Amino acid sequence: MPLDYRRFNGPEDSVSYKRFTKGYLKSYDELYKESLDDKGVRKDGRALSEARSLFARTDMVSQAKGSSYVELRKTKVVCSVFDPREIPHQNEFSQLGQIFCEVKFAPFSCPRRRRPHVPDAEEKALSVALRKALEPTVCRHMFPNYQVDVFIYILENDGSCLSAAINAAGLALADAAVPMYDVITSCTVAIVGEKMFVDPTEAEENLATISPSTPINHGIITLSMLSELKQISDFTQVGSMDVECVVKAMDILDKECARLVPLMQKVLVANVLKCFETRKRLEEEANEKEQLLNAKMDEWKKLLKFT
Amino acid sequence: MAGLLLSQSEKLFIVHGVQDDYRSDGRSNLDYRPMELETDLVDTATGSARLRLANTDLLVAVKTEIDVPSPDKPDLGKIEFNVDCSANATPQFEGRGGDQLAVGIANLMQAAYQSSQAFNLKQLCIFEGKQCWKLFVDILILECGGNLCDAVSLAVKAALFNTRIPCVKAILMDGGDVDLQLSDDPFDNKLLDVGTAPLLVTLCKIGDKCVVDPSAEEESCSVVSLIVGITGTPSCYSDQENLAEVGGKFSTIDMNGPGSVAPKTLKDAINQGIVAAKLLDKALAKALINERKENIRTKKSSYGFLK
Amino acid sequence: MPGPDLLSSQGLRLDGRRPNELRRIQCKLGVFTQPDGSAYLEQGNTKVLAAVYGPHQAAKSKSLQDSVVVNCQYSMATFSTGERKNRPRGDRKSQEMSMHLRQALMAAIKTELYPRSQIDIYVEVLQADGGAYCTSVNAATLALIDAGIPIKAYVIACTASLAWKDGEPEPLVDVSHVEEAAGGVVLTVASMPSTGAIGLIEMSHRLHMDYFDTVLSRAMQGCKDIEVILDKVVREHLAEGWTKSDDAITI
Repeated sequence: MPLDYRRFNGPEDSVSYKRFTKGYLKSYDELYKESLDDKGVRKDGRALSEARSLFARTDMVSQAKGSSYVELRKTKVVCSVFDPREIPHQNEFSQLGQIFCEVKFAPFSCPRRRRPHVPDAEEKALSVALRKALEPTVCRHMFPNYQVDVFIYILENDGSCLSAAINAAGLALADAAVPMYDVITSCTVAIVGEKMFVDPTEAEENLATISPSTPINHGIITLSMLSELKQISDFTQVGSMDVECVVKAMDILDKECARLVPLMQKVLVANVLKCFETRKRLEEEANEKEQLLNAKMDEWKKLLKFT
Repeated sequence: MAGLLLSQSEKLFIVHGVQDDYRSDGRSNLDYRPMELETDLVDTATGSARLRLANTDLLVAVKTEIDVPSPDKPDLGKIEFNVDCSANATPQFEGRGGDQLAVGIANLMQAAYQSSQAFNLKQLCIFEGKQCWKLFVDILILECGGNLCDAVSLAVKAALFNTRIPCVKAILMDGGDVDLQLSDDPFDNKLLDVGTAPLLVTLCKIGDKCVVDPSAEEESCSVVSLIVGITGTPSCYSDQENLAEVGGKFSTIDMNGPGSVAPKTLKDAINQGIVAAKLLDKALAKALINERKENIRTKKSSYGFLK
Repeated sequence: MPGPDLLSSQGLRLDGRRPNELRRIQCKLGVFTQPDGSAYLEQGNTKVLAAVYGPHQAAKSKSLQDSVVVNCQYSMATFSTGERKNRPRGDRKSQEMSMHLRQALMAAIKTELYPRSQIDIYVEVLQADGGAYCTSVNAATLALIDAGIPIKAYVIACTASLAWKDGEPEPLVDVSHVEEAAGGVVLTVASMPSTGAIGLIEMSHRLHMDYFDTVLSRAMQGCKDIEVILDKVVREHLAEGWTKSDDAITI
C-alpha cells in the first residue's frame, strides 16, 4: 500500500496502542453478551427490530446538480449527483446510459483506523454494489451514451453505510431530476444466532462478521428495494446462514424498506415545494424589480420631455 | 464475450425454450453441462486443478507462503484470491481489459470463504500470533463459455483439496524472531480440510424462470442473475462415519446484472440454488476422491492440455 | 568462465542430458475453440499456451496501409515460477518479451497479404523452467499454423550455452532454469531453419569471440531439431483433420 508521506508514519512493524485497550481485548462471548441486555434492549437503547431514526434532506452541495444528506445517528453520508455527460474514452455507442458511482470514506470516518487517500478494496466493493443497486431504478434509456456521476462521501461510519449510501443516492438522483422508475430504499440486518439486529451499528456488524465457535447463523444482509414495483434491485449477503434465516431476514428487510418510502417521499415533496416557493419568490422579486425599473423609466422620460 | 452475436429471434427462441424447461442444448433448467476436471498438473504450485466446463476453461493453482497473522486475528491463517483473465480467452482482456471482471470474481470468492463455517482458517495457523500460512489462490481464466463463477468455485475447491502443506518440524525462538524448520520430505505433509468449502451457483433469470449453468448465449438473454455461495457437505469428502451433518448454508449471495427481481423469484431461486449446489458438491467429491485413490498407487502422468 | 560445473565428469548435464540433447517436447494444436488458432507446447517443464485471433480489421489508430499489424502479448501466470509473481503482465520483462516475440514472428508472417488488418497473438506461460521465450515463439508458430495464417517458414527459437569439459569448450543446447541460474552465457536465437535466416538474436553474460560461432551453430542445430519435431506434429494434426472430413464425404 502506498504510504502517505505528508504525515508521520509509525515504524513498519508498529501496532496501534488501541489493540491493548480493554475494548479491543474482549472475547466473542463478552461482545455477544454486551450487545443485548436482559430485556432485549440494544446498547444504544433500541429494540432488536427497531431501526435508527433517519434524518434526510436534499440540497446539500450547491455546486452539484442534485445532492442529499442522510444521517442514521452516527452514520452520516453526503451524496452529490452531477449532470449527464458523454462517457469518456469509449469507442462504441452504448444504447443505455451509464451510472458511475464512487464511494469515499472520510479519513476520520472510522473509529478504528485512519483511511488512506487511495481507494481501498472496501471502497471499490461499495462502489460496485451501489452501481448495481441503482441501475434498475434509473431510466437509463433516456440518456444513451451519457453517464451520470454519483459521488458518495461517508463522513462518519457507524454501520449500515451501504444502505445509507443507497438511500442518499436515491434522494440525490431524484433531486437532480434524473428520471427514475421508483423511489429506492435500502436496509441492512446483522444476524447473530437467532437474533436479527435491524439497522446495525458498526459494533453489531463486527460481531456478526466474526465467526463463532458454534455452528450458528451469522452474517450481514443488505437489501435494496423498489417498493412500489415490488422489485429487489440488489441483495448481498456475507457470513453463513441457512435458508429459513435468509427468508426471514428478507421479510424483515422488505417491511423496513417499505417503511422508509413515505419518509423519502416526504423529503422529496418538501424539496419540490421548496423549489416552487423559491421560484415563486424569485419571480415576485423579478416582478418588483421590473416595476421599479419601469417607474424609473417613466420618470426619466418625463424629464426628457420637459427639457 | 468475443464475437457473440445473437439476433432478436434467436434470443426469443432461447427464452421460449427456458419457459418450457427445455434448453437449446437439450438440458432441463436444472442441469449442468458435462465438465472435465484434473488436479495436480502445475509443478510449481502446492495444489492445482484444471476445469473445463463446456467452453469455459480454467486453471487454478494454490501457492503457499509463510506470513505474519494479522494482529486482531492471531490464530488464523490467510487466504487470498487472485483472478487473471488471460487474453487467450478474448482479445478484450488484453492489457488491463479483464480487470473489472477479475476483481468482481475475486471479491465474490473472498466473501464466500470469509466465514469459518465455510473455510476454517485455523488450520493454517503455525504459531499463534507469530507465523501462519498464507494461501494464494491464483485463478487463470483461459476461455470463457459462460458460467464463470460456478466453474471458478469448483476449480478452487478441487485445487484446495489437492493442496498439501509441508509439516513444520521445529520452531526455534531466537529472541523475538521465530525460526521455522520445514520438513524436507515431500511426503511429510498435511492435507487441508476443505469439506465445507463453498460452491457458487449462478441462477440466471431468463423470462420468468431461473436456469443453472447458463451458456454464454443464455447469459446474453438475461438482465439479472443471482449468485449464491453454499457451503459444502464434509461427509462427502471424508471416509469417516458419523460426521455431523453440517453445510448447505449460504455463505454469500449476490446479484449481478442491471435488472431487478421480485421477492418471490428470489426466494424460489435460492431454494433452487441450494438443491443444485448439493448435487454439484456430491459429484465433485466423488470425482476428487476417485482421482486421489488413483494417484496413491501410481502417479499417473497428467494429461494437462495435451488431451 | 562460469564457476559451477555444468558438465559432470561423464559429460552429462545437471539434469542428466547430453550436451546436444533437447528436452522432451510435447504439443497439441487446436486446444481451444474460441480463438482462430491455438497451441499448447511443453519443452521439459516449461509449458506455454498460445492463442491467435485474426486477421481482423485493425483499430483505426494502429491500421497500416500496406501490411498487417502484429500485436503480441506475453504474460506469465502468477504461479508459473518458483516464487510467486505479483503481476502476470505489464512489468518491464513481459513488455520486452512481447516486443521480442513480435520481432521474431514478424520475420515469418507474410505481412503484405493483409493490409489494414490485425493479428493478435497471445502467449500465456503456465510454467517457466528456463527458455520460456523459446517455448513461446515455438508455441506461437504452431498457433499461427493452426489459424491458417500464411508464414514463410517455421520460426523456431532455441537457446544455447557454453560449458567446459577437460579444458575443451562444449556448447549446450536448450538451457534449463538450473543452468541459466548457474550463471553461464545464454544465447537465444529465433530463426527460420529451413531458410537459415535469423529473426532475433540475444545474448546475456560474457562470451569470448572465438567461441561465439560454436555456440551459435549449436543453437541453430537445436532450432533445426525442434523444427523436425514440430513439423511432424503439424503433419499428424492436419492428417487427422483430413481423414475426418474424408469420412464425412464418402457417400
